[in-house]
Amino acid sequence: MSEDRPIMPKAQTYYGECVYYLTVVACLVCIVGPLIAMINPENNVMNPYFTFAAIFQGHTADEVWTLVAGGFPGGHFWYDNFFTGDGFTQFGLALGCTSAAYALIVAAVAYAVERIYLYTFFSLFVAAMIFFAASGVVSL
Amino acid sequence: MRRMLKSPWPEAIIMILVVVLTYTALATIGVVVEAPEGGMATGVVVGWLFGFFILSLVIALLGVLGGIGGGVMFTPVMLAFTPVDSLIIRGTGLIVAMFSGLISTGPFMRSGLSNMRVSVFLCCAFAIGAFSGAQGAILVAEHMGDTGEGLVRMTLGVILFCLALYFIFGGKKIEWPQIDKSDKLTEVLKLRQPFYEPSLNKIVDYGLHRSAWAFLAIIGVGLLSGFFGLGAGWAIVPAQNLVMGVPLKVAAANSGVLLGMGDCIAVWPYIMMGAIIPIFAAPWLVGQVLGGLLGAIVLIRVKAGFVRYLLIGFMLFSCWGLVTRGLAGLGVIQPVPHWLTGIIFVAIFSWVIFNVVKMLRETD
Repeated sequence: MSEDRPIMPKAQTYYGECVYYLTVVACLVCIVGPLIAMINPENNVMNPYFTFAAIFQGHTADEVWTLVAGGFPGGHFWYDNFFTGDGFTQFGLALGCTSAAYALIVAAVAYAVERIYLYTFFSLFVAAMIFFAASGVVSL
Repeated sequence: MRRMLKSPWPEAIIMILVVVLTYTALATIGVVVEAPEGGMATGVVVGWLFGFFILSLVIALLGVLGGIGGGVMFTPVMLAFTPVDSLIIRGTGLIVAMFSGLISTGPFMRSGLSNMRVSVFLCCAFAIGAFSGAQGAILVAEHMGDTGEGLVRMTLGVILFCLALYFIFGGKKIEWPQIDKSDKLTEVLKLRQPFYEPSLNKIVDYGLHRSAWAFLAIIGVGLLSGFFGLGAGWAIVPAQNLVMGVPLKVAAANSGVLLGMGDCIAVWPYIMMGAIIPIFAAPWLVGQVLGGLLGAIVLIRVKAGFVRYLLIGFMLFSCWGLVTRGLAGLGVIQPVPHWLTGIIFVAIFSWVIFNVVKMLRETD
């Protein structure tokens, strides 16, 4: 029976593998990140000792950042703070939250090689939407 | 032994090892290191990190057992019973919803249960809805203040109540829809993809139709997901199954893939305005990924329908908390006394226990 099983399209398996392993890496980063933050609490954008208190006092996100970090440094603050605990954790979050975009580019290439241009377009459209959202171009 | 070298075992073992080492180190820090002046005690900070991780893990495992997504548990419970700002909760709720979807993507795609073409086509719709919904949530938070918070809680409470009723009464679902005639657009899209179904021991080639209507429906679902920070598998599955005629199993698998893909868009407006605080969100993310993996390895064959009643109980109780907090926030009623909430809790969980006992007796 197994020989008769349909072979999955390459784009599908490539997409699945890329997303899966990027998610695993993002998860590993997010496991270690808080430990780094606690080992050296001063070397963080937000000192973890004050962050939870501010969150559980019901402050808005903006207020939490202002109280603990003196203001929100932007969604991609991990660029300049990669070796800090929360900067590294933010990198893990950013990696996980864009994993589908990288995987969709790989899927789009696979579709293009197979000359399935409609799905090359769909894949690139969704990937572009993710990068567009991650760029923060549209912010209120 | 050879089986342990095949995915998902190596990555699951590595993650478990790293989690154990990290939380052992954190526990040591909690005992040894003193908190800075004016800060939370070290043990309490470590306790929160560990508590969030365990809660997220439990939600993910219950989700696998009960067939209900994590986001639909996390967001309402946190909004109803914690003082945490609603935008922070909704942003983190999207993390919870999307990472359980992302980790399930690999196995679904490998096995062929999920259909990449249907997923990516519908994700174009979900992307538009979810991004607009997330922007709308930020707009409401910035311009409507406490009134907006009250309205969000109340509306979510009503949605959750309808959802609980839907879960109780089952809703209409067709396991293997029969599609005799497709439409032109669906034909052009070439969405069909046969797969091997082990329970039937045969290859299933399913027909599809009305893809334009499904596209429109998914835009609406995306709006809801992005605005409330909920996973929306409960709406994506029937939209595919009833509108397009996707077989139920495939629709459920596609829903995980679609949520992982689509919420990658919805989550960014929250990240870019600071509503996702890394040290708060990280343990929730880890719990979902690890719980999703362990659930898929260990629990997937366990039949535990009674968990569904437990989750519905939590949904109904969260619904009470959301509606009363929402009305209190709007100034319509006084804050509800704790004894009344206690009575409601006892009433709802008596119903849950009654149904679980009834179900277990019927199983015997």
